[in-house]
Amino acid sequence: MSALKKLVNTTKMVTEKCPLVFNVLAECETTKARVGKMCLPHSDVDTPVFMPVGTQGTLKGLLPDQIDSLGLQIMLSNTYHLGTRPGPEILEKAGGLHNFMNWHGSLLTDSGGFQMVSLLKLAEINEEGVKFQSLNDQKSEVMLTPEHSIHIQNAIGADIIMQLDDVIKTTSPDKDRIEVSVHRTTRWLDRCIKAHKNPNTQNIFPIVQGTLYPDLRELSAKDHVRRDVRGFAIGGLSGGESKDDFWKMVHLSTGLLPKDKPRYLMGVGFAMDLVVCSALGVDMFDCVFPTRTARFGCALTMTGQLNLRQKNYKKDFRPIDENCTCSTCKTYTRAYLHGIVTVQTVACHLLSVHNVAFQMRLMKTIRDSITNGTFPEFVQKYFLNLFPEKDYPKWIVDALNAVNIKLL
Amino acid sequence: MKFILEGLTKCVPRIGALKEIEAHPGLSIETPMAMLYTRGGSIPHITHEVFKIISKEPQIIQIPMVSTYHYQEVMEEYDGNISEFVGLKDCLTCVSVQDPGDLTQPGHHAKDHIPLWTRSGKVLLNAEQYMNTVEAFKPDMYYFLSDGDTNAKSATKRISKSVENTVNFFKICLDRHRKSEVLKNSFVLSAIAGGYCTKARKKCINEVTKDDIVKGVLIDGLHNNGPEVEFIAFEEPKSIVEFIVNYLPEDKMRVVQGCWNPVVILKLVRMGIDVFDTSYCNLVTERSSALTFNFDNVSETQQYEINLRQNQFADDFKPIIENCACLACRKHTKAYIHHLVTVQELLGPLLLKIHNNYHFMKFFEKIREAIRNDTLKDLEDVVERQFMAHQRMLLNTKATN
Repeated sequence: MSALKKLVNTTKMVTEKCPLVFNVLAECETTKARVGKMCLPHSDVDTPVFMPVGTQGTLKGLLPDQIDSLGLQIMLSNTYHLGTRPGPEILEKAGGLHNFMNWHGSLLTDSGGFQMVSLLKLAEINEEGVKFQSLNDQKSEVMLTPEHSIHIQNAIGADIIMQLDDVIKTTSPDKDRIEVSVHRTTRWLDRCIKAHKNPNTQNIFPIVQGTLYPDLRELSAKDHVRRDVRGFAIGGLSGGESKDDFWKMVHLSTGLLPKDKPRYLMGVGFAMDLVVCSALGVDMFDCVFPTRTARFGCALTMTGQLNLRQKNYKKDFRPIDENCTCSTCKTYTRAYLHGIVTVQTVACHLLSVHNVAFQMRLMKTIRDSITNGTFPEFVQKYFLNLFPEKDYPKWIVDALNAVNIKLL
Repeated sequence: MKFILEGLTKCVPRIGALKEIEAHPGLSIETPMAMLYTRGGSIPHITHEVFKIISKEPQIIQIPMVSTYHYQEVMEEYDGNISEFVGLKDCLTCVSVQDPGDLTQPGHHAKDHIPLWTRSGKVLLNAEQYMNTVEAFKPDMYYFLSDGDTNAKSATKRISKSVENTVNFFKICLDRHRKSEVLKNSFVLSAIAGGYCTKARKKCINEVTKDDIVKGVLIDGLHNNGPEVEFIAFEEPKSIVEFIVNYLPEDKMRVVQGCWNPVVILKLVRMGIDVFDTSYCNLVTERSSALTFNFDNVSETQQYEINLRQNQFADDFKPIIENCACLACRKHTKAYIHHLVTVQELLGPLLLKIHNNYHFMKFFEKIREAIRNDTLKDLEDVVERQFMAHQRMLLNTKATN
């Protein structure tokens, strides 16, 4: 009852001055995992949460009605893409992306910096911002500054927006350059906060950088924690580094960030990673993988992936997953999906629905088990299902050991 | 399943209905109507979940064998019919041979076979193999196999060959149907071949319509399917269709396949054609267009169709048609659809398809209403004015470019 009362109060606070209220509702007694409720201007979000990526203002062909019935509370959109098309002017005229796409759950936008560096070979970073060759017809040089990124993100109007950060390749060995990026990221954070026009309706998250150097991560986190912000992102991971390095940096970062604010691990979304990083205390995830892999005929299940292009599904009259309640599994067989994958666009829609439903179900299972106090048992069972021979990858064993879970 | 007509007539528009459908006893599907076009068993872009959101009533889906032939082996082991297999179990199915939305490559004939250009290449299909597949699919309705490879330019030899093949196929299909337990409730349509030759058509009709098992006919061989059909002027098939309809027994349901434009559809309805398909909606959707022609108020003309790729829609925050009750128009703007089609997101064609199918189905509702009110000519005039203005505009744009 008291929890309920608290929630009513917080919702009120959201509508007035503070666009993000985060309450930790349950904590795992063994690991760093926790369940929270994040109240945002457009919706409440149960954490740990996976945010599917709707790059260009649409989630891979799904109607807003379908997105709602999947139970999605928040999705991600990309500032670089939306800034190019339809562009901030159209989005402003439309009254923001929520109105433009007619979806009224919560949205999060990235800063666009990552796309600059990953998509555009010619990107060049200096103190002012990221200089790149525009993809438009003129091929002109364009500069994405922290101010410009925030301008576009203000036009999009997402509930959570990201600072522009100085992105360095995760596997870069150049510590001097990485140190520059850490300091520059903080300077850019201050410029972003200053340029942010809608602090009462949009939350800006700083990004902890420092790639794989613990001392630099610490420096970055400590600088950011001092700013008046309502949540933090852990950036610079999931970029080709070894899993041993990856989990250690996540573990370190969640330890450095305050417990009362949500922590968002950028670009992570494989099922195993979601389970491990939830145990390490991460609250928010995003990844293009579930919807991207759907396009190639891959369906996700608790015991791994099915590639429906394979001939062995030709006469398989079972649904993708007998325990899945998504509209695809209720109606379609693997055999029919095998017959249409990569040929009919319908197949892409059907697998996107299933894969998003799978991610939602996995996160709900994680949350429920944390709330029930059975999270460590869930983790053990989950990995035993995936690796019945107990040939667990070493990084998983180590990461879980670090938060006191021993696999069976 | 029975086809019941409100009155027995020759070459005039008529209202009919499919009733006493085994799988849906209370259902009545009125004609003139359009079957839902599918490819590989799916309505392009529209999943079962979306179909349930946008359509409350069962409809007939057309299952072209050319895009579903690869399911035959699978369907023989599947414990259900083709509508269940493709995830549209509330729909009735009608198996056709060729895909009206795709050009059927002419030629490549072989004795007692027709070439079927499937995903995995050419398959030579004979009547026995065709019936094996139909039996595996267990459809609610199906056409007998036909050789429809003729058009307005076909030579006499090809025409007589197509009739000869179609009549031979008919005999085998009829025999197989009589013996078939699983198809005993299926509604049978025979196909009439014969191109644009009245003598050939007459010969074919004499052979393929006399049996009571045959409840309807497909007027095949008018064209080779695909996008070109949109631009066939009514004058081309007019006299041959008129001849066929006058020569046919009145009680048979009459079907014409293909991406005919709405003006030609109206004129075919006036001659007494009962059933069409929505392959035209697919064609319009694939060019990122939305049908906007007016049929509600016969004195008012609108732009016939709009192409959502055009920059003028970038900041147009109104629906495709104000007051249109389709999901795309109720929930989304032209600006959003413009954005989706320019960045090639899958939701773009999905929303356009929802609108175009809805508009087309409403158009058929209006056709039935106009037949009942005897205002079909007025409807035809207003649609034709809009269509012709649009064609002129396209020609002018082409000329200035």
